[in-house]
Amino acid sequence: MDILTAFGSGLATAFHPSNLLYCFVGVFLGTFIGVLPGIGSMAAIAMILPLSFYLEPGTAIIMIAGVYYGAEYGGSIASILMNIPGTPSSSITCIDGYPMARSGRAGVALFVSSIASFGGGIIGMVVMALLSPGLANLALSFGPAEYFSVILLGLIAASAVSNGGALKGIAMVFAGLMLATVGVDLTTGDLRFTMGVPELRDGVNLVIVAMGLFGVGELIASIRANSSGQGRQTIDYSQFYPTRAEWRASLGPILRGGGIGSFFGALPGTGQTVASAVAYAVEKKVSPNRANFGKGAVEGVAVPESANNSATQTAFIPTLTLGVPGSASMAMVIGALMIHGITPGPRLLVEHGDLFWGLVASFLIGNVMLLILNIPLIGLWVRLLQIPYRYMYPTIIVLICIGVYSLNNNVFDIWLTLFFGIAGYLMRLFRFEPAPLLIGFVLGPMMEEQLRRALLLSRGDPMVFIERPISGTLIAVTAGILVYGLWTTFRARRRSRSASISMSE
Amino acid sequence: MKHFGSFRTSLAALTAGTLAVSMSTAVAEPGSWTGEPVRIVVTFPPGGTSDLVARLLAKYLDSEFGQKAVVDNRPGAAGTVAADYVAQQDPDGTTLMIANNAPFTIAPTQFESLPYDPMAGFTHIAFIGSSSPGLFVKPDSGITTVAEFIAAAKETPVTYGSSGVGSISHILGEAVDGELGIETIHVPYQGSAPAIQDFRAGVLDTFYDMVAQNSDMIEDREAVAIAIAAPERFPGVPEVPTFAEQGYDIVIENWVGLTGPAGIDPAMAETIRETTEAVLALPEVVASMADLGINTKPMSGEDYTTFVETQIGVWEPLIIAAGIQGK
Amino acid sequence: MPVDEPGPVDQDVTHRPHAWWGAVGGAVLVALSIYFMAGGLGLGLGTPFRPGTGAFPFFAGLILMGLSIGIIVQDLGSDGLAERPDWISFLAIGASLAVFALTADRFGLLPAVFLTTLVASSPDRSLHLPGKAVLGAILAGASWVLFIKALGLPFDAFRGI
Repeated sequence: MDILTAFGSGLATAFHPSNLLYCFVGVFLGTFIGVLPGIGSMAAIAMILPLSFYLEPGTAIIMIAGVYYGAEYGGSIASILMNIPGTPSSSITCIDGYPMARSGRAGVALFVSSIASFGGGIIGMVVMALLSPGLANLALSFGPAEYFSVILLGLIAASAVSNGGALKGIAMVFAGLMLATVGVDLTTGDLRFTMGVPELRDGVNLVIVAMGLFGVGELIASIRANSSGQGRQTIDYSQFYPTRAEWRASLGPILRGGGIGSFFGALPGTGQTVASAVAYAVEKKVSPNRANFGKGAVEGVAVPESANNSATQTAFIPTLTLGVPGSASMAMVIGALMIHGITPGPRLLVEHGDLFWGLVASFLIGNVMLLILNIPLIGLWVRLLQIPYRYMYPTIIVLICIGVYSLNNNVFDIWLTLFFGIAGYLMRLFRFEPAPLLIGFVLGPMMEEQLRRALLLSRGDPMVFIERPISGTLIAVTAGILVYGLWTTFRARRRSRSASISMSE
Repeated sequence: MKHFGSFRTSLAALTAGTLAVSMSTAVAEPGSWTGEPVRIVVTFPPGGTSDLVARLLAKYLDSEFGQKAVVDNRPGAAGTVAADYVAQQDPDGTTLMIANNAPFTIAPTQFESLPYDPMAGFTHIAFIGSSSPGLFVKPDSGITTVAEFIAAAKETPVTYGSSGVGSISHILGEAVDGELGIETIHVPYQGSAPAIQDFRAGVLDTFYDMVAQNSDMIEDREAVAIAIAAPERFPGVPEVPTFAEQGYDIVIENWVGLTGPAGIDPAMAETIRETTEAVLALPEVVASMADLGINTKPMSGEDYTTFVETQIGVWEPLIIAAGIQGK
Repeated sequence: MPVDEPGPVDQDVTHRPHAWWGAVGGAVLVALSIYFMAGGLGLGLGTPFRPGTGAFPFFAGLILMGLSIGIIVQDLGSDGLAERPDWISFLAIGASLAVFALTADRFGLLPAVFLTTLVASSPDRSLHLPGKAVLGAILAGASWVLFIKALGLPFDAFRGI
């Protein structure tokens, strides 16, 4: 079928009044839920799932999808204003978004974040419309060896996320990898480092790590700064909208983020957090403004937001066309369809093409709605920063507690958050950054799992990583990056050594 | 679909007031059993079969019988976190759980110690239904029967994907190895979807999963289900023969039921059971359960309790054979 | 040597507690890596082509240890902590989380929110105790409306009272 005709009929479906209404309900709920730290799209989808039983399957899926990508819009708001990731994938947005807010440019950061989310969403939608069949095959050509290789590549790229010393950044990546081994070993079922605590069997939840390290750690540090008046959030209304130069600077990151995000979204299991982390790492290598990354660069806000939103759209490709959900939220999308007697899989495009194209078209409408919804709210969010901190910070603590408590309804998770909060504050004092740790934590288990699975399937033959064409190419690229990185480090060190000699340390 | 009016809310008062009478007769009318919202605890995160069953139940309990219910996902430690929580709640009918194999029949053998007693710690109220897993092979392998599978597996080692160490599909895989006298290579995944993805990609030779949920793959000839571990042929996939038919004694039931803390008043339990069965008999629910691949079956409270007890015994040797004890 | 360290948030950082202070972070990481390496050894490393349960934590720990030693060397000569520690806020926030953990299951969400607010705001001297109590009550009420009523999360507002 011609894609344009199909998309046109999809638009007609999406513009049906009830679909428009539920699309709005979805994106509104999603963006609102996304703002609340710890309560992600999964809680929101679980909440509206029973409502979806009453709806037509197409309408139900449009609404659920709206919640899913709406949450990514909202997620960055808490990251920028409070350094607390509203959703795990917006952890990366903290790195530059929060410094922007602290220097009075919260408005610009929120504006760029909305525009980048929109740009990423549209890129993801176009990719889904044009390439769905092809990308479904991409997931099928990715066996364990390919997954391992692409994650290795992501990890090497991500080691560059750190702003501090390279050594500390890489150390934090490995600390994250190590931390991620807590819990049941997926390959053998043995327990690792659970210390007899049943709750640790399933490992440590990403939300808890992110909330503890970023949120609690930052909160402790900002109490004194705010009460003594130094850190008062000033709002520079002349810097409310991005300047022409900032617009121009954001365009490239939005396009690159959207592309990288679309790829990782279509790979089941990797998802938005990996997408935004890798996109940020890549941008930090290629951006002409890379020196300002971590200090409030607009590019550093644009790229992860574009990446995570495009990934939310393309995540529907494997979910719908293969029946392989990349995340718990996507598993609920499958559940919602199954209740209506529709089994996601290769047949869906043929048998329920109207549903598929209606959904794709609704992405366009939903993203426009989100943009219209979010831009006017920026003023309101920014004004929130003027609330005296003595009211703000207990509120933030309460939000963190409830958000974490809602994960499993288990207070053990609060104790864990306390642990990571303490760790986060100490890391801050000793100049260790949480972002690389988080990335290691996300990628580590996947890397180990796929490595061991690949070796299990090849009966212990490590050549699979090189012999399979996609995997081999990825390994070669990774090796190239490593060699290049070592070479530039070596050169920089020689230069700095000669410089320090002349300055006499 | 339209809302149905809740026309039997008054039954709440009725059942509450007539405890003594209905105790002796143990005949109850379906309807609301408590004025409070009921918490239906689910042992898995949202999105799985248990969760969908709970949400279907919650929805129709409210719309049909005016019994408000919320779904409370308490995943963790193979369902034992949720079971432990439920065992500690008041037996007033406001806390129930979707019971399944994980905390009730697998954990008692798998774990060295449990914080709860799977039988005495609970009131097992109503059986909901079950599904059965089976063995899937590639169509181009030419294998269609268990006998051909044995021959192929003895020739070259076969890999199989499961939804994780200690999962039902893993336990079945090990049980099949034992019963068929073959050795296969277990490749665990996190859930069945990624295993099926690798099967489709040609990485895996075979996998085990619920048969009825994969009927599309069977119809599209993407996979051949050579045997199902059900007591008899399964509704929805009647063309798939059982292991028993082919001469191998392998039956595994992946069941769900409604269970509450120990000490729920028998009359109230009976009301809950009648109401649950009335919900399960609704045409919409029948259709949804069929789509989920669950074969529903009415069962008395006593029969369900006996069923859980028997299942613990049925699973014990399988779990020991799979070598996942103490893990 | 890293030259682009993030700027200190606190302005009065010029003080240096002790030269060895900077090495504490690296030392903690070394201890952590030893713990994971020892655990990894206990779990079994397997063979190179069939890594065992302990292989991944062991080698991650090994690399982390190497990096941490490098960090210690690098930090020994640095200017101490990134900012002056604020142990009062540290204790208050830590205690507020602990209070939430201790009270949420026992007394329900609303009392937990109220007490958490009181403890968290304890280091703040610009607000009187009644003011803090009002803030706690407002937050408890807002949590009830937002999380229990509007979002329908399965929390009990009050429990065991």
